[in-house]
Amino acid sequence: MTSVVDARGVSKHFGAVRAVDDVSFQIEQGKILGLIGPNGAGKTTLLKAVLGLTDCKGELSVLGLDPFRQRKELLKNICFIADVAVLPRWIKVTQLLEFVESVHPNFSRKRAEGFLSQTKVRSDAKVRELSKGMVVQLHLSIIMAIDAKLLVLDEPTLGLDIIFRKEFYSNLLNDYFDEKRTILITTHQVEEIENLLTDIMFINDGKILLDSPMESLAESYVELRTSGEDAVKARGLGPIAEHEMFGKAVLLFEGVSRENLEGLGELRTPSVADLFVAKVKGARK
Amino acid sequence: MIGNQLALIKRELWEHRSIYVTPLAVASIVTLSVLAMLVFASGFAKELDLAIFGASNIAGEGERRAALTAFFVGTSWLFLVALAILTVFYCLDCLYGERKDKSILFWRSLPITDAETVISKLITAIVIIPIVAVIGIVATHIVNLIITSLWVSMKGGDAGLLIWGSVPIFDNWMAAFIVVLASGIWMSPFIAWFLFVSAWTKRAPLLMAFMPLILIPLLEWIFLRTRFFATAVLDRGDAIPLFRTLDFESFFEEERWRHGIDSISLLGHLDVVQFLTSPSMWGGLLVCALFVTAAIYVRRYRDES
Repeated sequence: MTSVVDARGVSKHFGAVRAVDDVSFQIEQGKILGLIGPNGAGKTTLLKAVLGLTDCKGELSVLGLDPFRQRKELLKNICFIADVAVLPRWIKVTQLLEFVESVHPNFSRKRAEGFLSQTKVRSDAKVRELSKGMVVQLHLSIIMAIDAKLLVLDEPTLGLDIIFRKEFYSNLLNDYFDEKRTILITTHQVEEIENLLTDIMFINDGKILLDSPMESLAESYVELRTSGEDAVKARGLGPIAEHEMFGKAVLLFEGVSRENLEGLGELRTPSVADLFVAKVKGARK
Repeated sequence: MIGNQLALIKRELWEHRSIYVTPLAVASIVTLSVLAMLVFASGFAKELDLAIFGASNIAGEGERRAALTAFFVGTSWLFLVALAILTVFYCLDCLYGERKDKSILFWRSLPITDAETVISKLITAIVIIPIVAVIGIVATHIVNLIITSLWVSMKGGDAGLLIWGSVPIFDNWMAAFIVVLASGIWMSPFIAWFLFVSAWTKRAPLLMAFMPLILIPLLEWIFLRTRFFATAVLDRGDAIPLFRTLDFESFFEEERWRHGIDSISLLGHLDVVQFLTSPSMWGGLLVCALFVTAAIYVRRYRDES
């Protein structure tokens, strides 16, 4: 497997604030990695470092390039949507396509027009005349028409309604993604994307709390719903988190095999959201 | 690299429509004024006949040339003023607007360097806007010459002699082209300073750009009793080393016309070699380069979120 992103001891400090603190990880080709973290966790700073928008300490290589120093070269093979409202409001759809076509060697205008024809975005419209959802469709149509190796999405669906959000991800999976591409995505609406991720990474206070393939989450983490005597027994096995739901105790275990918990209550694989809350709370203790 | 520049400059013309709307507005104002003047003059039939007779028979070619050149210079000067105001607002907006509406993140997601982007804005300010203005000047002259000749013919004058035979068109246009282009180069330190402020300021670019230009000479005068900054910076506009003489009054004095028609040449009053060899011009370009570098640096290194 080839590494698309290779980070070793990457740090970025703003004065005394350690936005990213000695972080190491790899992203391999063909993965869809979800980067999850609370506000101010360092997600955006880390993405910016990957995109070459900010300088950082440590060794960071993206597609074999130094993102900050070889940015122009890098941007031929990497795309990003940074926020929903970033397309210039004065530009016409046709102008936008013409501009990207003339500066981007890997952009196919035909492909973009193909995607756009499936939406309600008119080609003679200006961006300011489009709804928020249509602007995202336009941006995604452009991004998907770029033959890039790495796609970075930072809160791409913020402020969109559920129909647009679902469509956005289904387009991304069906029309864009293949084993040669890699996607790095951050979002608050983790439950909406957990089904499409192949890998997940939690970040908090600039540090990585979890970096794992989705399929091994079920092996490493178990959620137990129990009550009474069984709950007391289960607590003895060292859960990493506990909360109450409908009068039952919900305990979360890391690295405890299912056989040991069998018979103590109802077992299931925790949701990413629950796991995230447990990990962040655990890190704060 | 060149392909990117062309795309980026085209982009500037899409975004800043004032680049061609302003010359169009000036052209309309000039044309409407000329029309109003002609309609007004038509009301004085007797005086008009006399004037046309005088212009055709008594006045020499030199006088006719001087009169039309005065009109040409007047309109070109209007364009130059409009161009200056347009350039200030363009420069202050072009790197500020993209940060204000956050589209900078989109522009920076494409494989274009910050240097290419900032340089495209500099080229737009120093080359494209002046060229559009010269096109405006030439078009305005042509339209108004046609209108005036039709009018003169209607009033019984010989337009071929009075208008077309008397106007040194190419001399005037070439001179306008050189003056407009040289003005951009001469004022390039200001243009680059405005670009830098546009890339750097968090708010109120107009205020931030002009405040130092007012405060520094004031403080210098209060504390040092010198006028070094004011002379070097604020008086720069008047000091362009392009003219053989800055004495425009004597240019249109009757005495000069009688020296022969060659003295009515605007081009003859421009000294391009003096301009190109002026240390002050090269010094200005150096200051321009410094501010442009600073603008590129700020766009590249500042964290925008």
